[in-house]
Amino acid sequence: MRIYVHIPFCESKCVYCAFASVVGNVDLQQKYFQTLLKEIEQCKENETVQSIYIGGGTPSCVDKKFIEQVLDKIKAHFRVEENAEITLEANPCSLSKEKLKFYKDIGINRLSVGVQSLNNKVLKILGRKHNKKQVFLSLKNALQVGFTNVSVDLLIGLKNTNIKKDCAKLLKYKVKHISAYMLQVEENTPLKSMIENGSQILKNDDECVRDYENLAKFLQKRKMQRYEISNFAFEGYESQHNIGYWVGDKYIGFGLSAHSFDGNFVRTANASDFETYFKGERDKEVLSKAEKDEEIIMLGLRCKYGFDLTKLSFDLSCCQIFKEMVDNNILLKDGSIVKLNPKHYGISNTIILKLLNCQ
Amino acid sequence: MKEKIRNFCIIAHIDHGKSTLADRLMEITGSVAKRDMQSQLLDSMELEREKGITIKLTPTRMKYNFEDEEYILNLIDTPGHVDFTYEVSRSLAACEGAILIVDATQGVEAQTLANAYMAIDANLEILPVINKIDLPSAQIEKTKQEIEDVIGLPAQEAPCISAKEGTNINQVLEMIVKSIPAPKGDEKAPLKALVFDSFYDNFKGAICLIRIFDGEVKTGDKITFMQAGKQYEVTEVGVFLPKMEETQKLQSGEVGYIAASIKSLSDVRVGDTVTLTSTPTSQPLPGYKVVQPVVYCGIFAVDGSRYNDLKEALLKLKLNDASLQFTPEVSTALGFGFRCGFLGLLHLEIITERIEREFNLEIITTAPSVSYKVVKTNGEQLEISNPSNMPPAVEIKEILEPMVSASLFTPPEYVGAIMDLCQQKRGVYKNLVYLDKSRVRVDYRLPLGEIIYDFFDKLKSATKGFASFDYSLDGFMPAKLVKLDILLKGEKCDALSIIVHESFAYARGRMIVEKLKKIIPRQLFEVPLQASIGNKIIARETISALRKDVLAKCYGGDVTRKRKLLEKQKEGKKRMRQIGSVEIPSEAFLSILKLDDES
Repeated sequence: MRIYVHIPFCESKCVYCAFASVVGNVDLQQKYFQTLLKEIEQCKENETVQSIYIGGGTPSCVDKKFIEQVLDKIKAHFRVEENAEITLEANPCSLSKEKLKFYKDIGINRLSVGVQSLNNKVLKILGRKHNKKQVFLSLKNALQVGFTNVSVDLLIGLKNTNIKKDCAKLLKYKVKHISAYMLQVEENTPLKSMIENGSQILKNDDECVRDYENLAKFLQKRKMQRYEISNFAFEGYESQHNIGYWVGDKYIGFGLSAHSFDGNFVRTANASDFETYFKGERDKEVLSKAEKDEEIIMLGLRCKYGFDLTKLSFDLSCCQIFKEMVDNNILLKDGSIVKLNPKHYGISNTIILKLLNCQ
Repeated sequence: MKEKIRNFCIIAHIDHGKSTLADRLMEITGSVAKRDMQSQLLDSMELEREKGITIKLTPTRMKYNFEDEEYILNLIDTPGHVDFTYEVSRSLAACEGAILIVDATQGVEAQTLANAYMAIDANLEILPVINKIDLPSAQIEKTKQEIEDVIGLPAQEAPCISAKEGTNINQVLEMIVKSIPAPKGDEKAPLKALVFDSFYDNFKGAICLIRIFDGEVKTGDKITFMQAGKQYEVTEVGVFLPKMEETQKLQSGEVGYIAASIKSLSDVRVGDTVTLTSTPTSQPLPGYKVVQPVVYCGIFAVDGSRYNDLKEALLKLKLNDASLQFTPEVSTALGFGFRCGFLGLLHLEIITERIEREFNLEIITTAPSVSYKVVKTNGEQLEISNPSNMPPAVEIKEILEPMVSASLFTPPEYVGAIMDLCQQKRGVYKNLVYLDKSRVRVDYRLPLGEIIYDFFDKLKSATKGFASFDYSLDGFMPAKLVKLDILLKGEKCDALSIIVHESFAYARGRMIVEKLKKIIPRQLFEVPLQASIGNKIIARETISALRKDVLAKCYGGDVTRKRKLLEKQKEGKKRMRQIGSVEIPSEAFLSILKLDDES
């Protein structure tokens, strides 16, 4: 079983963010962590925990005591495997040596740093509070404190950025894992209105894909493997927690808008506004067979592990479109395991949709 | 009794206020209580009210007291659009008189004249009425003069009304009673009734709208449809008030309906004569000529598995619309569907909208075509209304295209623009008449195929909406026509083929591929789009392969959100049609008709 904890607080809101997160507010934080701790305490699951992921928002921006309380509570309430992967999402500007040491001491063994870009101007436009210098400093601090498993998040498709060069610089700091996402323009975000008003922040689709493919080649040469569409890692440094999502492991989410999955057919989600969350309301969704199939295909094709045809409730292999895709090497089939040819990762959605239409 | 009946219709150019006047007449005669008044009562179809047009004709019976005598006025509404001209002629045959409405702000327009001539041909008493006198731009005297000069009807005594405000409506009613002759005919003679329309009622079967010329008909009578040779027993007779109301009988001079548990509407041909089986009339009424569709297109269900639903929908629509024709068609691109024939583009539009609305079916419509006569080199003659059936060019000796003679009414300043347009549409100039200082009639002979292309829109924009237009079919003429094919990834897509004049072929081929490039989304593979005549490629565009969709993160295990996003896209996919390995949005098939400027 895996545990996700959501920390919905940030120092500032980024222009592209459509998430449940708020800036500052000490009183709200106090109340939030009270509720969160209670939620963990009341959880009736008793399976061994293989990984913990503290995400956000920006978990590193809240008082580090809160993080300690959360981890202590989890460890007191669940049996956590000794070498469980425990990740904390962090922002470069809130990572002092002292703080990092504290995190290390309370048991966090993996950092995911939201770098996004190494171009200060771009960072400013995006509403990020850090700069390139702070990125390097945080990574250096992390190394010195003894974090050996550090991941960075980068955005693909921003104008005036050279993602390959950025990666080369970051790798000097012994980064083990890179998540590279194409920036998605969400409804009701400042980014959306910026673009509607003619702002030229993003590269076009073809340029995005070229950047993405070049990045993949560049990282592969340096022995970083793409184990999921957007995730690259040195061997042994794949995020166990995220793999869990893709292969259908059971997980529990604590906190605002956090999601849980029973590993079978039931997904639940906490409310995404504070008031409702404080009341303890959860949305429950029981997946139909068809929806479960959709998830298996969708999640499986996003990672190098693929999916198992025999896990589906219908026979996909006799569909014309499926056969065509296998014949054209868009899908790679090995026995009952089907994977997406990494050459076509850029259009995984389209391919997944075509397969879903076979249902 | 007959002496107190007046059968009349209202004819007018579109938008001159026909339905509004009908409403007012019903209101004043108390046929409809004011509180039940729904604007434009006779336009009962949702679509009719929405588009502000009358499609089906609906009769209504009104009572009117004049000089202490009660008169029965039967109003038979008529459609105003040129597509439905034949329906006008049908209602005329059931009347003795016609009210000709002319909009005082517009004057005599193309359909005013066309309808007036039809009424004159049908020997009707025509009563001009000047409408919209409430508008500041109304020119009453000028309009009267125009009616006299252009149509040749005396108009000085014509009532000047505002149907909208209800001004002078009584003058119209008085005039109907005084000037329209009472129906002739003999109650004692054998039954002779004209079926002037029909519709299908789920409970009563086919309902025939009839005008009794001689004799009478009542429930229980055995009747014969003379032309169809079918016999039935009458289960109900009645009149329209305007709702159906059962009566004991209908007799000479009256207008009403009969029901006879007729399950098949094909037994009821409009224009047929109904008589009594026991004592038939010796002489049937002349009837109508059968209307031939002028525009054809393919209709296919977006979801191919709903072919039977589509068939059902067409059958049901045909029950109420005898002019709709359809035969099964198989397209390599679109699968099983129907080749449908219509009276015009508006008719096509109405039918396709009704299929989608009333039967909840998503359909694909292919580009409309007219029916060509093809003479093959071996002497064989074909009628081709589906471009994909056109034989190869080497086997064709000659193609003849249907022509229309068109009259365009316009203020003089637009004559140049109209002549340019007609010339551009391969028209042959026939005549130009100055009706008065502010109005010109221009006559052209034009290929029908050009009119269904985009003539109306072009005419409107060339004349700022001031010109009006009417046409009638006018034989066939040989023309240098070619079949233009569209190839997707090298494969011919039969549903996109069109027949076009040689001189337009290059330009249109280029425009179609450009347009398709905009409409068809990028696919997994590169898709070349080509236009060809025979084996010769005349235009080419390429849709480059899709490179990117979204590499979004599944934040905090929110798989549901991601799945929902996918499902939403999946819904969108359904509107796509798979042709070979290319996905095409269903609107692509019709869009090739709506191209930007040709120049």
